[in-house]
Amino acid sequence: MYDAPTAAEQALQQHDIKISSRNVQVYYGDTHAIKDVDVDIEDKTVTAFIGPSGCGKSTFLRCLNRMNDTIDVARVEGEILLDGENIYDKKVDPVQLRARVGMVFQKPNPFPKSIYDNVAYGPRIHGMAKNRADLDEIVERALRRAALWDEVKDRMSAPGTGLSGGQQQRLCIARAVATEPEVLLMDEPASALDPIATSQIEELIDELRRNYAVVIVTHSMQQAARVSQKTAFFHLGNLVEYDDTSKIFTNPEDPRTESYITGRIG
Amino acid sequence: MDVFWLVLTVLGLAVLGYWLGRTRALRSVAGDSRYLHSLPSYYGTNVALMTLVPAFFVMIAWLLIQPLIINDTVADMIPERAAQGAGELSLVMSDVRRVAAGLDAAVEQGALTEEEAASIRAEFTDIRARLGEIGVALGQEVSASTLRAAQVYRSMTASGSFWMSVVVLLLAGGGFATALMRTDKDFRARNVVESGVLAILFLAASIAILTTLGIVLSLIFNTVEFFRLYPIDDFFFGLTWSPSFGGGSELGVIPLLWGTFYISLIALAVAVPIGLFSAVYLSEYAPKPVRAFAKPLLEVLAGIPTIVYGLFALLTVGPFLQSVFGDDTVGWMQSASSVMTAGLVMGIMLIPFVSSLSDDIINAVPQAMRDGSYGLGATQSETVRQVILPAALPGIVGAILLAASRAIGETMIVVFGAGAAARLSLNPFEAMTTVTAKIVSQLTGDADFSSPEVLVAFALGMTLFVITLCLNVLALYIVRKYREQYE
Ligand SMILES: Nc1ncnc2c1ncn2[C@@H]1O[C@H](COP(=O)(O)OP(=O)(O)O)[C@@H](O)[C@H]1O
Ligand SMILES: [Mg+2]
Repeated sequence: MYDAPTAAEQALQQHDIKISSRNVQVYYGDTHAIKDVDVDIEDKTVTAFIGPSGCGKSTFLRCLNRMNDTIDVARVEGEILLDGENIYDKKVDPVQLRARVGMVFQKPNPFPKSIYDNVAYGPRIHGMAKNRADLDEIVERALRRAALWDEVKDRMSAPGTGLSGGQQQRLCIARAVATEPEVLLMDEPASALDPIATSQIEELIDELRRNYAVVIVTHSMQQAARVSQKTAFFHLGNLVEYDDTSKIFTNPEDPRTESYITGRIG
Repeated sequence: MDVFWLVLTVLGLAVLGYWLGRTRALRSVAGDSRYLHSLPSYYGTNVALMTLVPAFFVMIAWLLIQPLIINDTVADMIPERAAQGAGELSLVMSDVRRVAAGLDAAVEQGALTEEEAASIRAEFTDIRARLGEIGVALGQEVSASTLRAAQVYRSMTASGSFWMSVVVLLLAGGGFATALMRTDKDFRARNVVESGVLAILFLAASIAILTTLGIVLSLIFNTVEFFRLYPIDDFFFGLTWSPSFGGGSELGVIPLLWGTFYISLIALAVAVPIGLFSAVYLSEYAPKPVRAFAKPLLEVLAGIPTIVYGLFALLTVGPFLQSVFGDDTVGWMQSASSVMTAGLVMGIMLIPFVSSLSDDIINAVPQAMRDGSYGLGATQSETVRQVILPAALPGIVGAILLAASRAIGETMIVVFGAGAAARLSLNPFEAMTTVTAKIVSQLTGDADFSSPEVLVAFALGMTLFVITLCLNVLALYIVRKYREQYE
C-alpha cells in the first residue's frame, strides 16, 4: 500500500507545491511577529525552519493549520494556499483543515488516556472507522508508521502518559498520523528528548517524508541539516533565505544566514 | 500586674531590645556593617525575639493552666452536699466566681479593705446585703462554704497573677540581657533569627492542631457520656426520632440521616450540573472581559452568609413551590417547608462553590492538552468533553465531595427551609429535618445538660463529624492524586 515511489515519480513530486504563502503578516496585538513571508513548501519533502529564538518560527508554523485562531490577540493577514485553496478563506472550516494539516508539539502532550485511545482520538472524532476492527487497524497502522508498535502492542490499554519521553513523542506523531493528514507540522519535536530518542524521531521524520509534506521547526542546525531537504531561515520575523538545505548550509546568499550558520548570531 | 500592662511592658522591652541590639552590633564594627556576620536588623530582631517568645509562651501557658488548677483546688473545698451532679458543681463554681468578683469590686470601691475581704465570715456578716450596696447582685444567700471558696479563689488568683508577672518579666529581661550580651560582630544573628521564626510558626501550627484535638476530645467525651445513658444500637438503628424532655424519648438517628442525605442529594443535583457547566463556560468559552467580571461575582456569591439563603428559602422559594405544587394545584405539598425547598436553595448556595473549584481545576489542565486536541481537528466542545473533562475528572469529583460535605453540614437553610419534623419519607415535598437542625434544637431548649435529650446533640455532632471527615479525606486524596499527574 505504501510502496516507495519510483525515481521518476519522486523527481516529479519534488516540484509539487503543497503549501504556498503570500505576503503573510502576523500580529500579536501591536507586536508584528511575522513580516511579509512568501514561501513555497513542497510535497513529500522535509522543510526545516531555523532561526534564533523569538524570530517567529513557531508563529509561522501555527499559521499553516490556523492554530493561531485559538490565541485571542493573534491576527493573520495575507494568503496561505493549501493545494491552491486559501485556508484563511471564510469557506474553510479550521477544524477540518487541522485534520488535513496535523501538528506535533515541542513537549510531548499525550492525553491522559490509554495508548489506544490516544491514537484513536482523531479517527473517532472524524468518523474514519466503520467499526472496531477498522479502528484497530487504523491504530496499528499509525503506531507502526510512528515506529512505536513493537514497543506498545502488548499494553495498548496502559496510559499514554506512562511512556518515556521519546515514546510519548512518537505516540503524539502516531496520533497525528492516524487522522491521515497531508501535511505534518512539527514544532521542535525533539528538543525535550535525549539523544537516542532524538535520533529515533529523526529517522521517523525521514520515513514520514514518503507520504507527507513535513515541516519541522528546529533550533539545532545539525538536525536541520540531517533531516531536511529544504531550509528556511527566519530572522526577526522576516524570512531571510529559503533554499535547498545543502545550499543554505554550504553557500548561503544572505550575510545574516551565514552569521547564524557559523554561530555569530543566535 | 494586669495582663494588659504586662504585655505592653514586654513589647516595650522588645522594641527597646531591637534598637539596642542593632546599635550594639553596629558599634562592635565601628559603624561599618560590611564586617557584621548578618545584616544589622537581624541583631535587633534577635534581641526582640529572645525577649518576646519565651515570655509570651510561658504567659499563654500560664493563663491556660492557672484557672484549671484554681478551679480544681476550689472545687475540692465545696462540701459534697452542695454539689451533687456535674451540672450543679459548675453552678456552684460560677457562684464562687461571682462572689469573688464581688469582693474584688468591693475592695476597689473602698467598701471593704483588703483585710476584711480576705477574712469576713458569712456566719457574722450579711455578704449579700453588703455586696448589694455596692451594686453586685447575688441571687441567693452566700453560704459559708461558698464564701470561703471565693476567698481562696481570690487569693490564689491574686498570687497566681503576681507570680506570673514575676516569671514573665524575668524571662523577658533574661532573654533581653542574654541576647544583648551575645550581640557581637561574629554572632550569627541571621541563623538564630531563622530558628526563632521557625519557633513562632511551629507555635501557631500547634495551636491550630491542639484546638482541633480539643474539639474532637470534647465531642468524644460527651458522646461516650450519652451512650452511657442511651443504648448505642437504638441510636444508630432507631427509626423514630421523638425526644421528650420528660423522659422516654426515642432518639433514632436514621430519620435525621435520611433527611440530611435527601436534602444534600437534591442540592447536589442542582449544584453540580449548573456549577460544572458554568465553570466550563467560564474557563473555556467566555471572552476575557466576561470572565474578569463573572468570576469575582461568583466568588462574592460564595461569600453570602447562609442565613441569607435561609431567608430566601423561607420567604421566596418555599411559598413559590407551594403555589406550584400545593393544595391549589396537585396537592403534593402541604407546607412551604420541604426537602425540595431546602435542597433547591442549598443547591443555589453550592453553585458558586462547585463552579469556582471546578474552574480552578479545569484551568489547571495544561494548555498543551487543548493544543493537542485542536491540532487533531477537534472542535471546542469535543475537546472539552473528551480531553479536558476526563483529565479534570478526579479533581472535579473531589470538588463535588467537598460540596457534599458542605451540604451535609449546612444548618441555617435547613432550619428555615426544611421544617422540623423528623420523618422517613420519599416525597420530596414533605417537611423533613437534618442532623444539624436537630443539634440546634436539642441544645437550645432549657433542659438539664446531663440528660440524654441534650447529650444526644454531641452524638449527632460526632456522627456528622465522622461523615464529613471521611468525605473530606476522600476528596483530598483524590485531588492530590490528580495533582501529581502533571508534575
Ligand atoms: N501568544 C503570544 N502572545 C503574544 N506574543 C507572542 C505569542 N506567541 C509568540 N509571541 C511573540 O511572537 C514572537 C515570535 O515568537 P515565536 O513564534 O514563538 O518564536 P520562535 O518559535 O521562533 O522562538 C516573539 O517575539 C514572541 O514574544
Ligand atoms: Mg518556538
